[in-house]
Amino acid sequence: MSRTDAVTRILFEAFSTVEVRLFYVLGYAAIAVFGYGVYVQIRKYRRGATLALEGGLWTRFGAMLGAVLSHRTIDRRDRAAGGAHRLIFYGFMLLFAGTATITLEYDILEPLFGIRFWHGEFYLVFSLILDIAGVALIAGLLYMMYRRGWMRLPKLDYARPDRAPGDPDFNRPQYRREDWAFLSILVIIAFTGYVLEASRLIWLQDRADVWDTRWWSPVGALFAEGLSALGLGPQGGGLLRHGLWWFHGLIALLLIALIPFTKVKHIFTAAASLMVRDPLASQRLPRVPESQEQVGAAKITDFNWKQLLNLDACTKCGRCHEACPARAVGAPLSPRDVILSLREFAKGALESGTLPAAAELDIHGKAPGQVAMETLWSCRTCMACVEICPVAVEHVPIIVQMRRKLVEDGAMDPLLTKTLQTIHKTGNSFGESKRKRGAWSKALPFAVKDARKEPVDVLWFVGDYASFDPRNQKVSQVFATLLREAGVDFGILYDGESNAGNDVRRVGEEGLYEVLAAANVSALSSASFKSIVTTDPHSFNTIRNEYPDFGGKYEIQHYTTLLKQLFAEGRLQVAQPLKYRVTFHDPCHLGRFNKGYEAPRELLKLLGCELVEMGRCRANSFCCGAGGGRIWIPDPVGAEKPAQNRIKEAAAIPGLEVYVVSCPKDLTMFEDAVKTTGNEGKFVVKELIELVREATAVRTEAAPA
Amino acid sequence: MKILVAVKQVAALDEDFEIRADGRDVEADFLIRDLNEWDDFSVEEAVKIKEASADPVEVVVASVGPDDVDESLRKCLAKGADRALRVWDAAIEGSDSIAIARVLAAIARREAPDMLFAGVQSSDQSFASTGIAAAGLLGWPHAAVVSALTYAPGAKSAVFRRELEGGLLHEVEIQCPAVLTIQLGINTPRYASLRSIKQAAAKPIEVLSLADIALGAGDVGEAGSLSRVRRMYIPDKGRAQLIEGDAAQQAARLAEIIREFKGAQA
Repeated sequence: MSRTDAVTRILFEAFSTVEVRLFYVLGYAAIAVFGYGVYVQIRKYRRGATLALEGGLWTRFGAMLGAVLSHRTIDRRDRAAGGAHRLIFYGFMLLFAGTATITLEYDILEPLFGIRFWHGEFYLVFSLILDIAGVALIAGLLYMMYRRGWMRLPKLDYARPDRAPGDPDFNRPQYRREDWAFLSILVIIAFTGYVLEASRLIWLQDRADVWDTRWWSPVGALFAEGLSALGLGPQGGGLLRHGLWWFHGLIALLLIALIPFTKVKHIFTAAASLMVRDPLASQRLPRVPESQEQVGAAKITDFNWKQLLNLDACTKCGRCHEACPARAVGAPLSPRDVILSLREFAKGALESGTLPAAAELDIHGKAPGQVAMETLWSCRTCMACVEICPVAVEHVPIIVQMRRKLVEDGAMDPLLTKTLQTIHKTGNSFGESKRKRGAWSKALPFAVKDARKEPVDVLWFVGDYASFDPRNQKVSQVFATLLREAGVDFGILYDGESNAGNDVRRVGEEGLYEVLAAANVSALSSASFKSIVTTDPHSFNTIRNEYPDFGGKYEIQHYTTLLKQLFAEGRLQVAQPLKYRVTFHDPCHLGRFNKGYEAPRELLKLLGCELVEMGRCRANSFCCGAGGGRIWIPDPVGAEKPAQNRIKEAAAIPGLEVYVVSCPKDLTMFEDAVKTTGNEGKFVVKELIELVREATAVRTEAAPA
Repeated sequence: MKILVAVKQVAALDEDFEIRADGRDVEADFLIRDLNEWDDFSVEEAVKIKEASADPVEVVVASVGPDDVDESLRKCLAKGADRALRVWDAAIEGSDSIAIARVLAAIARREAPDMLFAGVQSSDQSFASTGIAAAGLLGWPHAAVVSALTYAPGAKSAVFRRELEGGLLHEVEIQCPAVLTIQLGINTPRYASLRSIKQAAAKPIEVLSLADIALGAGDVGEAGSLSRVRRMYIPDKGRAQLIEGDAAQQAARLAEIIREFKGAQA
């Protein structure tokens, strides 16, 4: 036997046949338990509703692989956790691959084909890589332990805002135990691996092929030096190796067997969840098929398999918990806990051999695993949770589908009931006459074209707030003036326009949304225009992403991109730079929903404003609290409102002059919040449109007013 | 067991309305139609009784009006009524509340319910007489402005409460069948989702002619009515004015106005 042949991984050396057989029996048993667990999980998902995925499997697989290998989603807003997870992930994957290759050779290639590769330099290099992988794994795990044990991160606190101390599922100590067990078991496996390696070296120190190459396993060799110094000889080393071999092996097999039953399964569920991600999950809510008798999710089995998989993908990382505006102001909602509750519910109800009776599948209520209506109604559908989730859990459609059931039962705030009835009756949430929809334009010195009667280039979809709210009507008048001065051929639908339905849909009143969408699509199709512009990000989102499902495919943009274009073409010009110190609030439906982060910032720059960003900006923008129909539901008296929380953040910017918004609801919410937080007189809230007017209008201001 | 609920599709004024050419009503184009607010409560009360009952109970809603009333009837069906009846004939145009009550009584004779609910009044005409007049025509016991009700379908009597002046409550037992007019606030009407309204399209709305309920053209319309609307109009604006100045100036101005007013009367 040449030297290179002799240099190889010591496997079963000095084991009796009985021992080797016993190991194989245990190995197969572990795989069998694993296989059964996988079967139970898949059966659970298959008990959900059906769903056909769009898009090719390989594209999805590629996207998932990209996210997993780059750790892009785990890095976001927590680079340290991303880095540590990367160490664990790559360490684990390498060690797993190493073990798997041994199996490949020892159990498959060699016995069947006589092929051996696990020796010589290949073995030595691999041995070095695996030793380093082990260090990475242990380092990552220790950092994670440090986070859990000493950093006391609020997002890793499992106490729930929707439960009271003393409730059986208030802070779920079993999660904490599982977290520690998972981290510890991996550390133990890795650590005993090194001791095992060291004891093997000591045991076989007389064999040159082992001893002379020991520094290819540097950590193991170091441990061996240490153990030798402590007096461990070849005989003791042999005994220790024998014992540890079994300990290390059994614990590893135990881990494999437990994967489908514990948080370890996130290895598979998170990857699968990333693979079935819907990039428009919150922007385009699911339709209810005409034939479907029941609306919304009442039972756990009303969720589709993908949503059930989403529940299992959650790793409790707490990023959604941290980002949620409702949670931030103390509302009884954490997106994390909605997901975990439903996960526990699904586990209890759908993992047993027989499906329980329908009555036991009811997910609405206050029992452990159920979700209370107060929780569901606290959601602003601002998408902060979906956007930040590293494993593509889609909370918003889950919450809206549960709300659909509440709406069907009438389980909602009386004011919301009234508003929905009003919208049904008048087509707007203000309860104003349809005829008055275009009335704001009467104050203008020129007539705004009726796009139903004459063709226009640009159809302006105005939206409820900009049409009826007195403060926002002023902004609408300014925007009309800007368009006219820039020579844009534009018109509006007057009373042909109805509430766009974005928020009605997010409330969960799908039937009313269908009526509104159909009415608007029909009004739009009767008008002649090239493209649509809207001053309302909510309307923007639903027309852009949801109307296509209702037969309305249009080219639409938010006013910020249109104004930017008008400046670029020289049709609007800055007459006098503004020099204000401003901050910009990204509206959820423009920013997170439709990635419109740049245009408003570029406009502010063009106007000469000094933009100071708030900590929470762009994708992490903090909802004003009005989304998801919450503008029609009163906030609890005395509690902080999301808009107030946000204004306090802005108020911390030294010398702030203008808090710039680009959404009618934001204007309403924040002007109110500036007053209620005592910031009146310190800075003002303005629509970006108003700033554009101010910077471009010096010409007309020169004329006597 | 059966509960009959009389409902009305009322008209609300839109912005900038105009009076009809004959001066007796508002031009129909300027009206927004909806289910009478009181009827939301009476339908809810009937559906609640149905849901609480161990025995099967049928809730039938009935209305008098042209086919656009079906929209309101579907809303009632969506909220849980089992079927709907609508009586219409061109001759009914111009009926006063008593003539409508005659139609309602004829429906009640045909349906033979254990109980008849109506709203206290309609929000557009506010006569508050249709339900009670129907009771008179049927010869049934009746009570108006019921604000709480205990009734088991099929029972010989029901107990209800009414609110009296001075914070007094009035608890009354009444023989069935009876006509009760239901007050706002007796319950919390449920929301009829658009989806449920759509699905309610599958439930029947039976359209009846006068002949179907054994009435003739002379029983309804202006011929069958004891009153007729002469005109509908907007009164001249009142003359409110804000008196400014200090107390003495205000008092002086007030005295002056009183003098002017007295003089005008004399």
